[in-house]
Amino acid sequence: MLGRVLRSALLILAVGAFLRANDIDGTIVVQHKLTKRKVTASADLYQRGAAVKLGADREQDPLDYERSHVVVYVEGDLPSSPITAELAQQDRRFSPDLVVVPAGSTVSFPNMDPIFHNVFSLSKAKSFDLGNYPQGKTRTVVFPKPGIVFVDCHLHPNMSAVIVVTPNRWSTKADASGRFVLPDLPPGTYTVVAWHKAAGFFRKTVRVTDAGNAAVEFVIPLGEDGAVQEARK
Amino acid sequence: MRFATRAFLWSFIPFALLLAGSFWVIQQRVQTTVRGGLRSSLREAHMSMARLQKENELQNSRFLQIVAENPSLKAGLQLLLSDRKSGAAQRTVEDQLREIAETLRFDFLLISNSDGLPLAGIVRVDDQLVALDIHRLAPPQQGFFTLGGSTYQVASFPIDTNSENIGVLSIGERFDLSELSTPTVLARNGKVLRSSVPNASAAELEAALGRCGERAECETQLAGGTYLTLAADSIDFGDGYTLRSLQSVDSVSDPVQGVLRKVFLFASLGALFAAAALSFFSSRSIVRPIGAVVASLRESELTGTLPTFQTTPQTIQEIRELTESFNRAAATVHESRESLQQAYEEFVGSLASSLDARDDYTAGHSRRVSEYSCVIAEEMHIGDRDLEVIRVGALLHDIGKIGVMDSVLRKAGKLTGEEVMLVQQHPSIGRRILEGVRGFQVYLPIVELHHENWNGTGYPLHLCDVKVPLGARIVHVADAYDAMTSARPYRSARCHEDAMLELKRFAGVQFDPGVVQALIRAEQKGRINRVAQDPAPSRRLLSVSRAAAERESLEGSMLEGKLG
Repeated sequence: MLGRVLRSALLILAVGAFLRANDIDGTIVVQHKLTKRKVTASADLYQRGAAVKLGADREQDPLDYERSHVVVYVEGDLPSSPITAELAQQDRRFSPDLVVVPAGSTVSFPNMDPIFHNVFSLSKAKSFDLGNYPQGKTRTVVFPKPGIVFVDCHLHPNMSAVIVVTPNRWSTKADASGRFVLPDLPPGTYTVVAWHKAAGFFRKTVRVTDAGNAAVEFVIPLGEDGAVQEARK
Repeated sequence: MRFATRAFLWSFIPFALLLAGSFWVIQQRVQTTVRGGLRSSLREAHMSMARLQKENELQNSRFLQIVAENPSLKAGLQLLLSDRKSGAAQRTVEDQLREIAETLRFDFLLISNSDGLPLAGIVRVDDQLVALDIHRLAPPQQGFFTLGGSTYQVASFPIDTNSENIGVLSIGERFDLSELSTPTVLARNGKVLRSSVPNASAAELEAALGRCGERAECETQLAGGTYLTLAADSIDFGDGYTLRSLQSVDSVSDPVQGVLRKVFLFASLGALFAAAALSFFSSRSIVRPIGAVVASLRESELTGTLPTFQTTPQTIQEIRELTESFNRAAATVHESRESLQQAYEEFVGSLASSLDARDDYTAGHSRRVSEYSCVIAEEMHIGDRDLEVIRVGALLHDIGKIGVMDSVLRKAGKLTGEEVMLVQQHPSIGRRILEGVRGFQVYLPIVELHHENWNGTGYPLHLCDVKVPLGARIVHVADAYDAMTSARPYRSARCHEDAMLELKRFAGVQFDPGVVQALIRAEQKGRINRVAQDPAPSRRLLSVSRAAAERESLEGSMLEGKLG
């Protein structure tokens, strides 16, 4: 985390030397729930022995959840700065269930549960199989190519996580209110991409000038029948 | 035993026996039918149970096969097989099993390796899924399995990968008897595990089923009632487990029996009344004509005459035959009695005549005394029977004179004291003569006592007033009258009026006043005169001597009682 901050600071300094950079301030608008997520755990889960942490989720607004699961990044051959991220297995879940890393980053998969997990992915961007490993053990994977990587567990079909490998360092997740900031972009025209697991990709072109921060709004729309409409530009 | 009682018993006892027999037969039939119905209903229940079981098994096997095909479970099993010592691996599989059990609501899940060795398992206890202690338990792969007070029904499915068997998944559900329609007992080696039989403790059930032994179908006693039990032998429950359904025979047959009992109670009461009434009427219809015959026979016993029964065509044939034959017999008896009577009369008459024939003077005396006595007796309203006794007794009254010498009897002169003694012996002699003749006993008082006086001065016993029988008193008066109105060797006959006067004079002294009164009444009616004049002696001596008068008093009426 500290490394990432430092690297970003260096980049900003380097760009800022000859060009004044500006942010893209964005908003994600989600009008409807996009995933059929069980917010409340079934009673049976309580009987499984190990406690299940549900606190935050139970109270969470479904739309907040949707908004906070939208990944935003900038397309284009911009400089990347690989980082190290963690995707733990805890309480039979991946935690967090959505990780955004720039290409070339390393993700570790520590097992926090007293049972075995078997993490694997069959995605095109990166396929891997870490095998069975018990509590306390961890395995790491490097993601050199950008793309969407779905992560599963052989032993627990319920477990699922997504790693979004972005082409450069300008990538983020929206917050619960749908706001995001892509900071310090040099002036120019960019294609900003918003991705949601269920709704797919949304693209918008944004011009970043010296004049100030650019703004962008993504409306993740729904058709009359409730199906997500593709809105690609 | 009375005829009526006999008729009643003969009609009632077969009736009762028939009734009791049919009751017994019907009851047996009902019992058999009820038991048969129960058996078939139990068998049906068993068949449906078996069918249900089969269907369940089939359905389960399809869907449980899918459970066994769970790839993550396979992965877990492979993990566990590769690292059997690892607690984490076991926990991982147990966790997977829990998940399946939660989702699919199983109560028992167990994974074994291909050799059947248990590797990991979970069971639902008190609504909590807990891990099985596989090292201590050896759950079966098929059939029943008891753990912690619960019984599970278990089925097993192979887990294969690449056509290779790597293990077995056993899936169990808690066995619940309440799903079965009939009361059922689940036992293992004679020990009751589960029971849905109401009001029966496990110990009672064990005792009851113990009596059944190995028999699939049997009847046994439980809690005071009879139960029919049937073992579900079409399903294999595994190691020592038996499933038996029980059905109370009594609860099914009791209502029927109750109705039957009621019906038979009414039927038997009705039959009792019917039998009583019928036998009463039938016996009465038989007994009544017989009773009538008996009654008239009893009456004839009193009167001494044999009755003649009148029959009509309406009379019952048997009774008619009875009365007709009785009438014939009675006629015969009557005839023979009449001829006997005639012979008897002739005999008595000839006895009297032989006495009278000894002497002209006394000729006809006995017959006359007899006639006078009869007239007096009729006047005194004496019954026919006593009248007959008086008539014959009077005929025989002087029979004792046979034993008195002719020289004394026919002596014309005065009798000496010794001769008087001889004459006075004639009543006693008469008694001795007649004593030996059976049938003449009734005449003895007349013969012996016809010389007793009213005041007790007579002979031979010196009895007075009513101590002398009436017959003797009557004959005494009649004898005196005839003696006075007849001629004797020692005197001539006195006239009727004189004789009557004499009698009146000595009434209450020598004679019974009542008898004399009766004679006077008969005389006034003209009955004595006529009689007296009728048989007049052929000859009469007119000379009367003193001696004759004395004699008269001696042998005749003893007019002068004091001389007695």
